Amino acid sequence: MSSSGPESPLGDAPASILAFEPIAEGGSACSVRLPAFEGPLDLLLHLIREDELDITNLPIARVAVQYLEYLGLMRELRLDVAAEYLVMAATLAWIKSRLLLPPSEDDELDEELDPRAELVARLLAYQRYKEAATELERRPLLDRDVFAARGAELPEPEEGEREIQVGLVQLVDALRRVLKEAPEGTAIHQVVSEPVTVRECMVALVDALEAADSLEFEAWLRGPGEAPLNRSILVATFLAILELARVSVLRIYQSLDEDGAPRGPIRLRRAVGGTELRERLPELA
Amino acid sequence: MSPEEQRRILEALLLAAAEPVTARRLSSVVPESNTAQVRERLAELNQGYEAEGRGFRIEEVGGGYQLRTLPELAPYLQALRPSPPLRMSRAALETLAIVAYQQPLTRAEIEHVRGVDVGAVVRSLLERRLVRVAGHREVPGRPMLYATTPRFLEVFGLDSLSDLPTLREIEDLLHEYAAGSTEEGAEGPDPALLAAALAEADAEPTPGSKPH
Repeated sequence: MSSSGPESPLGDAPASILAFEPIAEGGSACSVRLPAFEGPLDLLLHLIREDELDITNLPIARVAVQYLEYLGLMRELRLDVAAEYLVMAATLAWIKSRLLLPPSEDDELDEELDPRAELVARLLAYQRYKEAATELERRPLLDRDVFAARGAELPEPEEGEREIQVGLVQLVDALRRVLKEAPEGTAIHQVVSEPVTVRECMVALVDALEAADSLEFEAWLRGPGEAPLNRSILVATFLAILELARVSVLRIYQSLDEDGAPRGPIRLRRAVGGTELRERLPELA
Repeated sequence: MSPEEQRRILEALLLAAAEPVTARRLSSVVPESNTAQVRERLAELNQGYEAEGRGFRIEEVGGGYQLRTLPELAPYLQALRPSPPLRMSRAALETLAIVAYQQPLTRAEIEHVRGVDVGAVVRSLLERRLVRVAGHREVPGRPMLYATTPRFLEVFGLDSLSDLPTLREIEDLLHEYAAGSTEEGAEGPDPALLAAALAEADAEPTPGSKPH
């Protein structure tokens, strides 16, 4: 079987694929604005719609040519072509080659299966969610279109304190400081091991954050008592903090000085309300 | 207690609440009331607001009630607020739509639908508390499963997931995209392709493609 419909000759792709829109006066001469595509499926849908192609009988060869021309233009404009676009180019080429080959005999089971089917199904599924996204966007959104009466909101972090964006280095430094004080597991006498799970540490931290709005990171690692925590508890506690930060139950803050460099103690704050804090614990198994 | 007093209390409670409050919780506070009465009083309050042309209404979101400003007043509220209004990128909206309709699902499943990497988008949705981790899929690698949060319902003004608009039927989309074909020499729809595409689309890994 071969793809039908007239194939547009190479180089005859509609110029409108790329809607060049010179940026208003004052912009540099070579500035162009590309229609923003959310990925290869989005681009393909655009090509199909633009040329009013029949999706139930997709002229793959023609679509493939236009798709590659588009990628070529992106490269000419020195835009990074994401790997996903290249994967799709390979998929199109594969489908095209499958359509050119006569059906092989040992392929009889697959006879009914059009190699385009999976792609068409993906395009339609994607189109569905694109539309659903548009529907969501049209709703009156909180803090954009509508604003709610808010009684007691979570306290704002102190003035000058900013959420740490790339803070793993600082966190690990702090961990190392505390670890230095922690007793090495040197066995002078046999000790019954005291297994502490990361989960237990998370529960303890959530409890503490419910009581206080913020905690000092290093103080929490040092533990409540006089004696430093043993290393395994310490490491479990550290992991618990990272895990809770990852799932956005807590946030990690540090003050910034005038130059924007971090300064002062690292603090942990809860990012969700008290009830939600509790409700979300089970999912952190 | 008179309906009027109940209304006064309800109005005050919603004004001071930090998040949507359920009818059950409201009725536990308002003397001599049950949930049906609470709903009735809230409806009366809304009728009053409308009759008097007030700038807010009581809305049902996330399974509870919340006092909210009217959408047409947004420009004024935005002007007063120090922070810029909420912004939702196309990528965030598409990802949220997929999670909302197919939850719980893995990152790879979202990526299959969107055809692009969604790592950064999912992370930002987690940070904004619109999406949460809802466990792991018990397959090798134990990938995390994502679902929407109560906050998602609140932000999008939905009472529950079943209030999401129904997804368009695949058949419907097929016809729309087939109708555009007017080229000469073009054959009619390829029945085999059609059937295969439909079967593929219906075989989506969806224990809950339509929310209930």
